[in-house]
Amino acid sequence: MTKKNLQGWQALLFLPVALLISCKSHFDLVKANRQQYNINTNVSADSAIIKTYLPYKQKMDAEMNAVIGKTDTVLFKGKGAESTLGNFFADACLSEGKKIDPNIDFAMPSTNGGLRNSLPKGNLMLSNVFELMPFENELLVLRLKGTDLQEILKFIAQSGGQPVSGITMNIKDKTATAVMIGGKPFDLGKTYSILTSDYIAGGGDDSFGMQHPIEKKVLGLKVRDALIKYIKNQTSEGKIITAKLDGRITKN
Amino acid sequence: MEESLRINRRKFIKAGGIATTMLMVGNPFDVFAKGEIKKLTILHTNDVHSRIEPFPMDGGKMQGLGGVAKRSTLIKKVRLEEENVLLLDAGDIFQGTPYFNLYGGEVEIKLMSQMGYDAATLGNHDFDNGIEGFYKQLPNANFPILISNYDLSNTIMNKSTLPYKIFKKGGLKIGVFGIGIDLAGLVEKKNYGETIYQDPIQKSNEIAERLKHDLKCDLVICLSHLGYSYRENKVSDKVLAKQTKNIDLIIGGHTHTFMAEPEDILNLDGKITTINQVGWAGINLGRIDYYFEKQKGSMTKTFGKYEINNTI
Repeated sequence: MTKKNLQGWQALLFLPVALLISCKSHFDLVKANRQQYNINTNVSADSAIIKTYLPYKQKMDAEMNAVIGKTDTVLFKGKGAESTLGNFFADACLSEGKKIDPNIDFAMPSTNGGLRNSLPKGNLMLSNVFELMPFENELLVLRLKGTDLQEILKFIAQSGGQPVSGITMNIKDKTATAVMIGGKPFDLGKTYSILTSDYIAGGGDDSFGMQHPIEKKVLGLKVRDALIKYIKNQTSEGKIITAKLDGRITKN
Repeated sequence: MEESLRINRRKFIKAGGIATTMLMVGNPFDVFAKGEIKKLTILHTNDVHSRIEPFPMDGGKMQGLGGVAKRSTLIKKVRLEEENVLLLDAGDIFQGTPYFNLYGGEVEIKLMSQMGYDAATLGNHDFDNGIEGFYKQLPNANFPILISNYDLSNTIMNKSTLPYKIFKKGGLKIGVFGIGIDLAGLVEKKNYGETIYQDPIQKSNEIAERLKHDLKCDLVICLSHLGYSYRENKVSDKVLAKQTKNIDLIIGGHTHTFMAEPEDILNLDGKITTINQVGWAGINLGRIDYYFEKQKGSMTKTFGKYEINNTI
């Protein structure tokens, strides 16, 4: 008898029995053992995998390993209301954005969730910026009523702080207080220009307050390209990239 | 009649694989079934985010960790040692290194195919180059994309995904289905287009019921990109586990949660639904070994103990 015949024969014979007990699976789970492997420097690499990605890597590295600047410290997100990475990110975007539109009052070009990697101490390569800001988001300038801006302040305060530049505040009981924009107290009756990204403007990362701008301007500059430009400009001026916690957002 | 069956059955055993097929049909006798144990090994990743190479040795917290080539070594080792292995991913394959910016996910998917992934689900970042961007990489995938709560029928991906797949491993039937996160507010509308998000709890209950009862799976696994848990009242893996039944394991993602150990939650049936998530970037490879005992013919037979150890 062939295997196929046997199976057919057996199915025919056992079908009625199978129907009788058909409401249950056939094996009961009796035990689970769980573990996780940490993939660290002790694990050896599979050369077959490296062989597959090597041609891509070589082409990529030729482009991405170009050194475009230097930092004096690791820039990272941390868990505070402000971070060295967030401050650098927002300052760099505001600086480049103002070259196109000098009337920008302040910047929130990303949420903390959008900062995807820290920047290392020492040489900054193009790849570092791609890993920090891998998305293709575009910079926008929105002209907003004070009441809408208040919603953005609410978002920043409720989420415990976001990367900003040109604005300072103290978060108290999840509310933004002592808000200063461009060195002047926030005035509900005024309009303000905010530099942000198309992603945030569309309510990305559950942000809110930007749905009804009086005016919307597309700068034609991607967020990542603004960062790259800023780093390259600093480098050409002989400056090292640095960032401090300067108390722009405090929590009390 | 019975006697001749017994004789024939011995022949089946000798025929190797046939014996297992017999068990699947439901053996009314206790002849060789008693105490039969089957073992299944699940290996899993989530949120690998285009991390092809290990993190560079640049002084960062993650330096030296991860890397697809190292993961592959571990996977190959487990496959040599274990007969029944399933390798699964819970989404966000894309985005995070220049590999994605330059090659659009081609490298990620090709390497997953090479490592022999059995299935993956869609994460929000898998839409970062639009639905078309993911669709374009599908020819590089030799594994199915499982997603049950996105209606993609008005998109280019309308024939590209499956709600679930049943894997047969050594006589065991394992039902695996995919659940995605609400894309609104996470992904730009232009990138997810006409994808319609459907209630993950309702969908999971529907699919898990079908897999466990109608299709008689011995184990039901949900690949979820909902996220482990949220402070606010938002659907997550923890909520999903509590409000569903028939799911044995939720392999989670999205929140990049490094869990000290898998979490066991009592589901709607008062049974255990386990949640596991292994951080992100391919820093860890999760492993769960499941042991099954064959039912001894009676519908009502219950096995008192489901033993769980956080060690292999």
